[in-house]
Amino acid sequence: MAAPTAPTRAQHPVPTRIRRQLPTSPWLFAAPGLLVTGAFVLYPFVSTLVNSFTDRRTLLPGHFVGLANFRELLHDDMFWTGLRNSTLYVVGVVPALVVLPLLLALLVQKNIPGITFFRSAFYTPVVASVVVVGLIWVWLLDERGLVNSLLETVGVGRVGFLSDQWLLLLSAMAVTVWKGLGYYMVIYLAALANVPRELHEAAAVDGAGPVRRFFSVTVPAVRSTMVLVAALSSVAAFKVFSEVYLMAGPSGGPAGEDTTLVMLVQRTGTGLTGRVGYASALSVVVFAVTVALMLLVLRADRGEEA
Amino acid sequence: MPLSRRALAAASLALVLPLSACGSGDGGGSTDASGKVEGDITFQTWNLRANFTPYFEGLIADFEKKYPGTHVKWVDQPAEGYPDKLSADAAGGTLPDVVNVSPDLVAPLAKAGLAMDLDKAAGAYRSEYLAGAWASHQVPGMSGTYAFPWYLNTGPLFYNKALFTQAGLDPDQPPKTYDELFSDALRMARKSGGEVATLANVPTIEDFGRYGVTLMNKQGTAFAFNDAKGVELLTRYKKLYDARALDPQALTATPESSGKKFLTGAVAMNPGSALDLGNFKKNAPGLYRNIGITDQITSTGHVNMYVMGVMVNARTRHTPAAVAFAHFVTDARNQMSFARKVAIFPSTSGSLNDPYFTKEDGTDETRVRVAAAKSLKSAVNYTPVLFSDQMKTALRNEVAKALQGRESPRQALDNAVDAADRLLRQS
Amino acid sequence: MSVLERVRPERGVTPEREPRVTDQLGRRVRAGELVWRYLLLLVVLALAVGPFLWQLSTSLKGPTEDIYGSPPSFLPGRPTLHNYTRVAGTIPVWDYALNSLKVATASVVTNCVGSALAGYALARLRFRGRRVTTLAFVLAMLVPVEGILIAQFTTMRELGLNNTLIGVVLPGAVGAMNVLLMRNAFRALPYEIEEAAYVDGANAWQRFLRVALPSVRGTVAVVAIFAFMGAWDDFLWPLIVLSDPSRFTLTIGLNYLHGTFADDERLVAAGTVIAVAPLIALFACLQRYFFRGVGEGAVKG
Repeated sequence: MAAPTAPTRAQHPVPTRIRRQLPTSPWLFAAPGLLVTGAFVLYPFVSTLVNSFTDRRTLLPGHFVGLANFRELLHDDMFWTGLRNSTLYVVGVVPALVVLPLLLALLVQKNIPGITFFRSAFYTPVVASVVVVGLIWVWLLDERGLVNSLLETVGVGRVGFLSDQWLLLLSAMAVTVWKGLGYYMVIYLAALANVPRELHEAAAVDGAGPVRRFFSVTVPAVRSTMVLVAALSSVAAFKVFSEVYLMAGPSGGPAGEDTTLVMLVQRTGTGLTGRVGYASALSVVVFAVTVALMLLVLRADRGEEA
Repeated sequence: MPLSRRALAAASLALVLPLSACGSGDGGGSTDASGKVEGDITFQTWNLRANFTPYFEGLIADFEKKYPGTHVKWVDQPAEGYPDKLSADAAGGTLPDVVNVSPDLVAPLAKAGLAMDLDKAAGAYRSEYLAGAWASHQVPGMSGTYAFPWYLNTGPLFYNKALFTQAGLDPDQPPKTYDELFSDALRMARKSGGEVATLANVPTIEDFGRYGVTLMNKQGTAFAFNDAKGVELLTRYKKLYDARALDPQALTATPESSGKKFLTGAVAMNPGSALDLGNFKKNAPGLYRNIGITDQITSTGHVNMYVMGVMVNARTRHTPAAVAFAHFVTDARNQMSFARKVAIFPSTSGSLNDPYFTKEDGTDETRVRVAAAKSLKSAVNYTPVLFSDQMKTALRNEVAKALQGRESPRQALDNAVDAADRLLRQS
Repeated sequence: MSVLERVRPERGVTPEREPRVTDQLGRRVRAGELVWRYLLLLVVLALAVGPFLWQLSTSLKGPTEDIYGSPPSFLPGRPTLHNYTRVAGTIPVWDYALNSLKVATASVVTNCVGSALAGYALARLRFRGRRVTTLAFVLAMLVPVEGILIAQFTTMRELGLNNTLIGVVLPGAVGAMNVLLMRNAFRALPYEIEEAAYVDGANAWQRFLRVALPSVRGTVAVVAIFAFMGAWDDFLWPLIVLSDPSRFTLTIGLNYLHGTFADDERLVAAGTVIAVAPLIALFACLQRYFFRGVGEGAVKG
């Protein structure tokens, strides 16, 4: 998908003749999608917005409390821990997901024998569900799991991937990157397919080596794709839940220090005693930050372009 | 990653529409269970399908035969996400007629008017159950009892005799008091150079209870586990943690992971039940040969027990059938036959005097069973009914901070009590 | 921002009968380069697929085999399918897999149809409110799903669709992300294609069906795979919306395993293999179309 908020460029001015049509038909086209999205995503989210100003609990109706929930957020240590971790996640994961899949795409771009097999194989982690991936990695990184027995065999000794606060967060990030590589690789492959080969040939004629061609030809040509990947992956990274939840456990690692914002939404808002109002306020903050992140990335792109 | 928005929801949900039907009052069932037992009802259990399908199918067939004109539909929910499933059903008005609950789940449902008061609807059956078990589904601040007690569970402390011997401890003299436990644990850590821990879990609310800490005030309006005794227990755990006598990974341990540590000999003691013996035999034969079994350690003389209950939906349209079925599931005969299938204990009075729970036959399984049944007669469910999941997380995180040395034990418990009180007031 | 989805002539097809190894431009690849390329490919392959193979290996190990050993044994000493039989004996795997298949197939159909239609409208049809509609889909994509599950359930119950497989499919029936994917694919088509049809007197439906849709087949394949994966992998929504065990999906069933036999790595491994294998098989079958779509420049949009 393209950064949907990107400016509509007038590359394809619509011929006036095409504009005339039956007045109802565009809405008929859009109706199924709009109905589903409206009824099951947007409408529920509006109720979240409403709830964020109440002290509603799972089974008890709430009262209007104004901005009390948002004020409470500012004094909630866990909120700041969550904000720190979600932000760290963006900082840690996004650069890796912008760069590594591009290199991977370059690696599988050439049609050498067997390459279709490699491409498909690299996509496998994307296909598996997060829960399965979580189970697999928890087993791999277990104190007695494969990674640690390999480390012990080569004499490094066992590492507490799943018990140290920072190692846990790093392990979760590694899993996110591992699972995201194939997905973004495919996006880059699409972009690379459209890089005119004349550019490479011209650069090669000028005597540019592969590294210089990468920076002078490939990167500029896929720059808009890199921005798109940055936008998508930062939004997803900020909303990270499953990887950390599965690896650090429901209480978020030692002393809850690995809690992310969405984990906090889940923890405070779920179950029969959930504080729906407070969790809604958290959700609204998460939503606002992701919108801001998206705009920020796109703005940075436009600024650079200008 | 980006396409997993739905899958990402792996264990989460939060928000209810303002217009969802909940709270109490709008029609539905009555507490009058005296009518004719008939109609279609739904019975929901919690993670019992995988092992006990034939038992429940037989149970339901018996009930339908006893009361022609009834039909019971059995649904079972997996372990994970059960509170979320109940929340959605409660908020959406689709709660089944008869529901398997635990005391902490029944409290919010009772407060929302969704659990039937059985003192009113089924008071006559009260005497069939152990008094302590019946009381375990009462909610402080409310009058009434909101679920039939179902099965109980408790178990001994298992220990690894080989590890005891290696540390120079007498494998036939396991610790009986907290003083012995802590000194043995420190010795074990010293002798093994910090390689073998004795305990694998940080103290939870029931550990505080067993240590003799007062958990809540008498009225059930505020928590009190930050008293001198509570601080003492946490201080002792901190000493264990510093000496690696409490497993360094205890802060992130789950019951599964600590079980695994015991299985692999990284930890010397672990609480369990008769069920675990079979597991040891199969998965760790070496450990099984060295297994030691001792009683739970308490300062109060009362061991901890877990209680499961069966609640009746206050809005059921077939009150007589729902109450009759909930009682049927939990009556002495059916609890007894369930207990013979799996290592749990009936909550009906007198059942624990059955020879099955009193006669030794020389096997370890029976020995564990007999000892547990004996201790159950005075056992206590220490976890306060009002102690919600959010409160458990708050306590766990504060305890972790104290163990890491980031807060004093006193400060940590004060914070935990504050957080729990705040959550309690908001409920 | 858009990479163009070009309808280009089938150029650059690898001349397969030619014995020499060439790249996508038909140039020869040097032997030295070839070696390090394959080396790198194998390293990445080990990283990407290794964890799955380790899981498969664990699931084939018998109860007597040490799965915690150091150094680890990569291959099961005496491979056994015993763990799979136990899984099948514990939960009705086939019934659950059938339900998952129904849900996933329905989701593929609704997503392909719904998002192609909506994407076409957003990309190619002019109407008042088009920008607002586009914005609605963008915002929908950013909503944290964790926050709205119960509200979704309440709506579903009001529609009387709780405890049905339709209820499982509906919230994800037309994913906002898929709509935007399709929109970008259609936007990238040159206008000239449709113009010819327009001159011939074709109306919007006919242009959509006969001209535009066939040109974005690659993107449709991508949407199909995303939709299938999303539906197949989902756990919490099916759990909440379904009450009747006979309608449970495979992910719920696997949760029984994890909840009941959490300490048995072999059994859990067998369960995860069962959950992943169909997806991998499906992808292996579709990958040709998938990567052709990608080659057309479809995914990125």
